[in-house]
Amino acid sequence: MHPMKLSKAFLRSAAYERRFLTENPWDFSMVVWIPLATVLLIWWIFSQTQITDLPIGVIDQDNSPIANTAVRYLEASPTLTVRQLYYSEAEAKAAILQRDIYAIVIIPEDFSRHILSGKPAPLILQVNAQYGTHSGIIQTSVQAVAGTLSAGVEIQRLVKQGMAPSQAAIAYSPIGIQRISLFNAATDYQQFLASTVIPALLHILAMVIGATTIGRELRDKRLGHWYRFISTGHPDLTRITKNESTSGQILNAVENNQYLSKNDQISVSSHANEDMTESTNVLVLLFGLLGKYFWPTLAFSIWAMLALWLATPQESVAMSSVLATYAGLILLIMLSFWLGAVFTLGSFSLRMGLSATGFISAPSYAFAGVTFPYIAISDSARHWSDALPLTHYLKLHIAQLQMQAPVAVSLPIVYGLAIATTIAMTLTTLLTKRALAHPERWGAR
Amino acid sequence: MSLPPKDHLSSTTSDSTKQSSTPSFLASFLQTIKDIFSDKGVLLLLLIAPIIYGFFYPWPYSTEVVNHVPVGIIDNDNSNLSRTIVRYASASPQLDTQLFLNEQQAKEAIWSDEIAGYMVIPSGLEQQVLSGKAASVSVLGNGGYFLLNKNVQMGFLKAVSTVSAGIEVKKNVAQGAYSATAAANTQAVPLVIVPLYNQTEGYGAYVVPAVSILILQQTLLIATAMLIGTWYEQRRHATSIRGWLGRIAALSMFSFIIGCFYYGWTFELHHYPRGQNMIGSLLFLLLFCPTVATLGCVLGLWFRQRERSMQILIFSSLPMFFVSGYPWPADQLPTVLQIIRWFIPTTPGINTSVQLNQMGASISQVSTGFYALAALWVFYFALLMWVRWHDTNKALKTVS
Repeated sequence: MHPMKLSKAFLRSAAYERRFLTENPWDFSMVVWIPLATVLLIWWIFSQTQITDLPIGVIDQDNSPIANTAVRYLEASPTLTVRQLYYSEAEAKAAILQRDIYAIVIIPEDFSRHILSGKPAPLILQVNAQYGTHSGIIQTSVQAVAGTLSAGVEIQRLVKQGMAPSQAAIAYSPIGIQRISLFNAATDYQQFLASTVIPALLHILAMVIGATTIGRELRDKRLGHWYRFISTGHPDLTRITKNESTSGQILNAVENNQYLSKNDQISVSSHANEDMTESTNVLVLLFGLLGKYFWPTLAFSIWAMLALWLATPQESVAMSSVLATYAGLILLIMLSFWLGAVFTLGSFSLRMGLSATGFISAPSYAFAGVTFPYIAISDSARHWSDALPLTHYLKLHIAQLQMQAPVAVSLPIVYGLAIATTIAMTLTTLLTKRALAHPERWGAR
Repeated sequence: MSLPPKDHLSSTTSDSTKQSSTPSFLASFLQTIKDIFSDKGVLLLLLIAPIIYGFFYPWPYSTEVVNHVPVGIIDNDNSNLSRTIVRYASASPQLDTQLFLNEQQAKEAIWSDEIAGYMVIPSGLEQQVLSGKAASVSVLGNGGYFLLNKNVQMGFLKAVSTVSAGIEVKKNVAQGAYSATAAANTQAVPLVIVPLYNQTEGYGAYVVPAVSILILQQTLLIATAMLIGTWYEQRRHATSIRGWLGRIAALSMFSFIIGCFYYGWTFELHHYPRGQNMIGSLLFLLLFCPTVATLGCVLGLWFRQRERSMQILIFSSLPMFFVSGYPWPADQLPTVLQIIRWFIPTTPGINTSVQLNQMGASISQVSTGFYALAALWVFYFALLMWVRWHDTNKALKTVS
């Protein structure tokens, strides 16, 4: 195969696609505006990186100075805010049901009496566990308050017994625990959620684009036209005069499903048939497809850069780590393009391709093991999780950007994504060849 | 799949002449049902996809609670005390321990996802404790994964506290305290946690009831916009006000049935809290489904093409979930988003459904949600009527 012919196929196809995108604002938006807005929106959603001031209620049945101290400690916790003091449980329950508050701390009647007489004096936390995020944070914070109170009470008691305060602190807790969160130490939700959700959304958008870019040619029965144009340059599909193109537009979008008249269709199909069965060249097809996906690839490599720029924390992450992650993200996006195309070409239908895309990519974040840990995913579901490219990419993303792992640890994932991308690309080419040979199946909705 | 509903398209375009006479509510209702059943794409999205999702989405969470998290221990002390700590940690149901020789090894294991965190017992720990000096162990959890980190910290905390309390008790007893009170004394203010509603604190029980409302919305939205978009291509989209109401009723009916399937079957199957206020839940669906269907009609008229609803809407589920106020507290959102989010039906929808069906709130306690949904329905319907008026005006102009 002449290299000139291949580069021509690439350039013609890219020019063809450029014309399409400039004339179809919806498709253009899918490549440019929607992904850009999505990246920024997600970052914006989590711009307050810490959860603060979750509203809780208090029922103080004790009304002692120690109980007041407890309420003050609760109020002082940055993650909590005491919305209101309630006087009956029914009242407080109603407030939980209306979601005015997410928990009630009950200080029982004999709280201070128990403390003074050296008996354990429990605090009761009733928490709305249906709201898992809220509940988890409230539990940790109230637990911390109870711990502070306990330590104060215990140390005071030991001091009363005549122990030096410093010694009392040690006696209270002979083995202290230093709790250290390696990486993302500030439990920053922007790092945790936003930085992983953005690649998940780019993956979804890329699969949709992958499906539509080739799928619309199938639907509009223009696949044969496109191939003839990229391999021979005739008829020139990029240089239609403005008049023709706009009338074509109206014909496309509005009139009778953008189809050519019946007679035309038949002649196109028979034409296509002769052409394709004899002379479809796989390499020309491959370069044509690369040209067709050139603009989305270019656009998404910018969005990927933006996503990683946002996700890279202030403390320096090694350049090699950022590069490895970027390579991984680009591969994930390219793989997504080809996978969307494979599902569309496999079913000969843009609609089915998009359905499969939605089914696979939309819930993939739930299976990726970020919010719900991978090791806790049920055994059978783990096979599905392993089959999703997003799972592997996010492993690489977290290891490189948040855990500062050496690049070598994550290279197998980059290689794996590269192999998967190559296979999906080859498959797309072969399936396009098959699609060209079956013009009678074009036009499915 | 591959067979286009071609014949159906051409046959129905021919009766589009009939449609200029204003169809009744019932006629439009029945025609829409007929069209849904003869359109595989719409049927797949409206009926089959949400049923599959009902099984598919809870799948990863079937273990519900995270236990036996693999962790490492580096014992630099190698004393009786440190071995006791190791023994207690390995007995914890939350942890699955393994020993490492040094921190570097443990870190490498974290990087390759073999363990989720580790504890370092420093050398000389026993010595320091025996001589009454301050001593501590370090627990290092992986901040990259929140839920795991919590497990690692809590698991080690419990094990070490137990050992630590044992030492404290021994000392107190030596100092002449009664051993019963001394044992009870270990925490002067213990915290009794009572989880309400989701009493097992399962992850699936937390996330699935909310996500199913999102699934309900997205499938109905995409299917409706697809059907209306297809009709637009065929020039069959115009109809009377009653005609639109009939269409909305027909489309909502399918999602209402799916909603009942979720409430009555999916949640039951996975033992999620459910059915606390069944009448309220059904009333909610009765309002939620038409609201979503009406928005779907507006989007269909905007997209004007069969496949476009999928193309545009597939990605929107995740952002919509995050602004709903369920997984992420709404008052943490930027102020502008706190307003914009109310234009999405799931914003009042998810909370209202969870409050009614999982928590058992009364209807008056979720009245805000009901009012918000009703207001959204009115808003979308007004939009729909505006588009309709706009279209007929344009049609009249081109005729004259």
